[in-house]
Amino acid sequence: MMHRAGGCLSLVLALALAACATPPYAPGPVPTSGTAGGEATGAGQPGAGAALPVPAPAPSPVPPPSPKSYRLSAATSALVTQARSATAKGDFDAAAATLERALRIEPDNPLVWIEMGRMRLASGDARQAENMGRRALSLAAGAPREQSGAWRLVADALRARGRNVEAQEASERADALAPP
Amino acid sequence: MKARTKKWLRRCAVAAAALVAAAALVFVAALFYYDREVAQQFEGRRWTLPAKVYAAPLELYAGLPFSSADLLAELSRLHYREAAELTRPGTYRRRRGRFEVAVRAVRFADEQRPAQVVAVTIEGGAVTSVRDARNQDIPVFRLDPQLIGSIFPIHGEDRIVLTPEEVPPLLPAAIKAVEDRKFDSHHGVDFQAIARAMWVNLRAGRVEQGGSTLTQQLVKSYFLDGRRTLGRKLEEAMMALALEARYDKRDLMTAYINEIYLGQQGDRAIHGFGLASQFWFGKPLDEVDLSELALLVAIVRGPPYYDARRHPARALERRNLVLRILAQQHIVTEEQAQAAAKKPLGIAARPSGGYYPAYLDFVRQTLRRDYKEADLTESGLSVFTSFDPRAQLAAEQAIEGELTRLDGARKPPAGQAGLEGAAIVTLPQSGEVIAMVGGRNVNFDGFNRALAGARPIGSLIKPFVYLAALETGRWNATSMLDDTPIEVALSKGKVWRPQNFSRNANGPVSMVRALSESLNLATVHLGLEVGVPKVAQMFTRFGLEQAPRPLPSLLLGAVDLPPIDVAQLYNGLANGGFHVPLRAVRAVIDERGERIGAYPVEIAPVAAPDAVYQLDRMMTYVIARGTGRAAAARLPRGLIVAGKTGSSSDLRDSWFAGFSGSHLAVVWIGYDDNRPTGVTGSGGSLHVWQRILSALDTTSWQPPMPESLEDMPIDYASGLRVTTGCSQDEVIVAVPRGTDTPFMAGCAPPSGIVDWVRGIIR
Repeated sequence: MMHRAGGCLSLVLALALAACATPPYAPGPVPTSGTAGGEATGAGQPGAGAALPVPAPAPSPVPPPSPKSYRLSAATSALVTQARSATAKGDFDAAAATLERALRIEPDNPLVWIEMGRMRLASGDARQAENMGRRALSLAAGAPREQSGAWRLVADALRARGRNVEAQEASERADALAPP
Repeated sequence: MKARTKKWLRRCAVAAAALVAAAALVFVAALFYYDREVAQQFEGRRWTLPAKVYAAPLELYAGLPFSSADLLAELSRLHYREAAELTRPGTYRRRRGRFEVAVRAVRFADEQRPAQVVAVTIEGGAVTSVRDARNQDIPVFRLDPQLIGSIFPIHGEDRIVLTPEEVPPLLPAAIKAVEDRKFDSHHGVDFQAIARAMWVNLRAGRVEQGGSTLTQQLVKSYFLDGRRTLGRKLEEAMMALALEARYDKRDLMTAYINEIYLGQQGDRAIHGFGLASQFWFGKPLDEVDLSELALLVAIVRGPPYYDARRHPARALERRNLVLRILAQQHIVTEEQAQAAAKKPLGIAARPSGGYYPAYLDFVRQTLRRDYKEADLTESGLSVFTSFDPRAQLAAEQAIEGELTRLDGARKPPAGQAGLEGAAIVTLPQSGEVIAMVGGRNVNFDGFNRALAGARPIGSLIKPFVYLAALETGRWNATSMLDDTPIEVALSKGKVWRPQNFSRNANGPVSMVRALSESLNLATVHLGLEVGVPKVAQMFTRFGLEQAPRPLPSLLLGAVDLPPIDVAQLYNGLANGGFHVPLRAVRAVIDERGERIGAYPVEIAPVAAPDAVYQLDRMMTYVIARGTGRAAAARLPRGLIVAGKTGSSSDLRDSWFAGFSGSHLAVVWIGYDDNRPTGVTGSGGSLHVWQRILSALDTTSWQPPMPESLEDMPIDYASGLRVTTGCSQDEVIVAVPRGTDTPFMAGCAPPSGIVDWVRGIIR
């Protein structure tokens, strides 16, 4: 779910409007709770509450959505640690394979994409690193800390390819989102 | 006289001696010849080892949604047995939600995992912990990857080679008892056995009994073709003698166990007990019990005749004969033999190690780019893929179920083939193909419609027309399109007059409605304004090699694509505008376990993420409101999915392509001879797609909305903006922030009076 504000209000509204057609895509607040996999605190639990016809609350004033933040589940974080040690040994194939196991567990977690991009950068593939940074960026909408991390990866990847002006811009975006 | 006689005798003796010497010389020369021949082949040529192809292993970790029933199904698929004591790999025991599993040793691409015992706890529909034997947490644990096939050469020989240590000691004993009792003492040929066989055959007047030793059987299988002439028999005997002279009995027995022919599946010939055990029972040889081992030994005598799947009664009778022989020879006790004889055959329903021809075809296609044919078929590679047996089963059952239903309703005329179908399932974020169905007969290794069946895609093109429009920034989901008749002048004075499926024109319609109801006229108006070349370029941007010709008819999908290309195009939509090449192979390792091939994910941005997000949101209404709504009620409650129907002219092809948060599936249905099916995209393929998505453990499509966009509730029919709850027919679309869509009459917020007036004027 997109927004996470005014859960109670919208739930009441939802019940009141239960006769209305159900929009398939129901933007609106969803009570959050850590999933067992714990991929995103503040992000909605996949599937949970999606059936509810939850309309957006009255248009004004809309409280700004509180920033999202992501963390890695125990499983992915173990895999990331394992991949880092492979990267450190220069075994990039093994690191990539291990990170893809993490990706299959949490395909929407920008942190996993940032990690993959970092590994690619270490292996010398700056173009893939940049693309993965951009993928992370699109997944991190509403999560400034992760966006900042993604911009930093993009900046480093651009710098590695000698595109210093764009790299500088990316760095500034990263700094604006989360001061270093 | 006497002297002459003597002389003559002497001459005779000399001649005889010379003759004997010559014969001996010829024999010795022949022996030398065959010895060299045998040695060269036996040592120089190792067995050809077809590459073994493995499914994706199931990853277990705390938090995985997974029930006890799911785990039991998985263990049974991998042919694990429940046991009181976990003394050997391939067994498990269970106390309610707690499973202890003695897993087999596995060589993965990135690690060699030894056999060990792990404890998996499942509570409330999810895995809560995975622990090792010392009760330490294991963060992520992979179960065994299932063997799904081999890449065997044209002649079809497939096998798994075992070392002597991997062979259960009972097997050689049983083979000797049944096939060659004097194996340990003869020198390659058992003359007594031959004499006995000749006597039996002479009396019967036909060949009833063979006197071949194991060594001769090995020679026959290894070096010679199947002809049975006297010359061949002599050659076979010589080679057997030469083999025996050179190698010890243990080597010969190992060779026999790996060489002998034990089954057939289409073109694939099952050689050796290692593969035969997988083929017949779905598990490694060291896990078979006495009754199963006896069946394997029984099959040696004639794999087609004693085929346990086709002729179970015959196979059972011979298995029990083998068990009686083993008891007579005191290899097992009478009690053991009798207990084993009471067991059923225990044949795995579906031959393990095969057979998913469509998917293997896709795997081969990848590998042939990077490896020589001989490397694939001979050098013992292991290929790890993203194949998901659960998704494959879901796709196969969905296709078969729906086609049977449609054929039943349609009753094709006698002599005409029934409907055909194809399906592909991917993980959009990584581009991994997890299932592929190439036709209705899933075991038939023939025409693979998923890869090669190029057919007109019809309305599946439409999302790309709308994406091209959204990318310009001049249109959004609330934009009004012209659903009115149109004439398009083509070359040579021809005129194209497209029509809606309903044959009606709807006048002005919102973009979201035009897409979800698949309105042709509105789409052609829009596409011509955006520019057909922009639509054509989408094909190469989203990863296809060729762009179609930018003709106006392209706007309604007059272009032939196979399902795999459709999957590639839609994968980019499911993946937020990022292209990932579809792939099946994760890694390749050689016989020693060295990684020789890696196929990491490659990703590239190909479309503006906010445009793709707006499009995907509109595509959720195809299912909720439009041509896909028949699926909405049958999908798991609350699951948000997006997709698009497609059908070609005269309903020759029925397509559906769509995705959830974690899966993309593309389905095609039609006749091979291209005659009309009478099935629309929403009639046939949609139901297959819905069945597949419902069977998968999938998540809703709900990526975070790009910050440049905002939600806007609108009235579905008019496309006008509403306040929530005002319209009886409200949909919520995503539009660029600040989009100035007028309010519907009576639905404006108090401050929106100006908009309200504008709405009336509009």
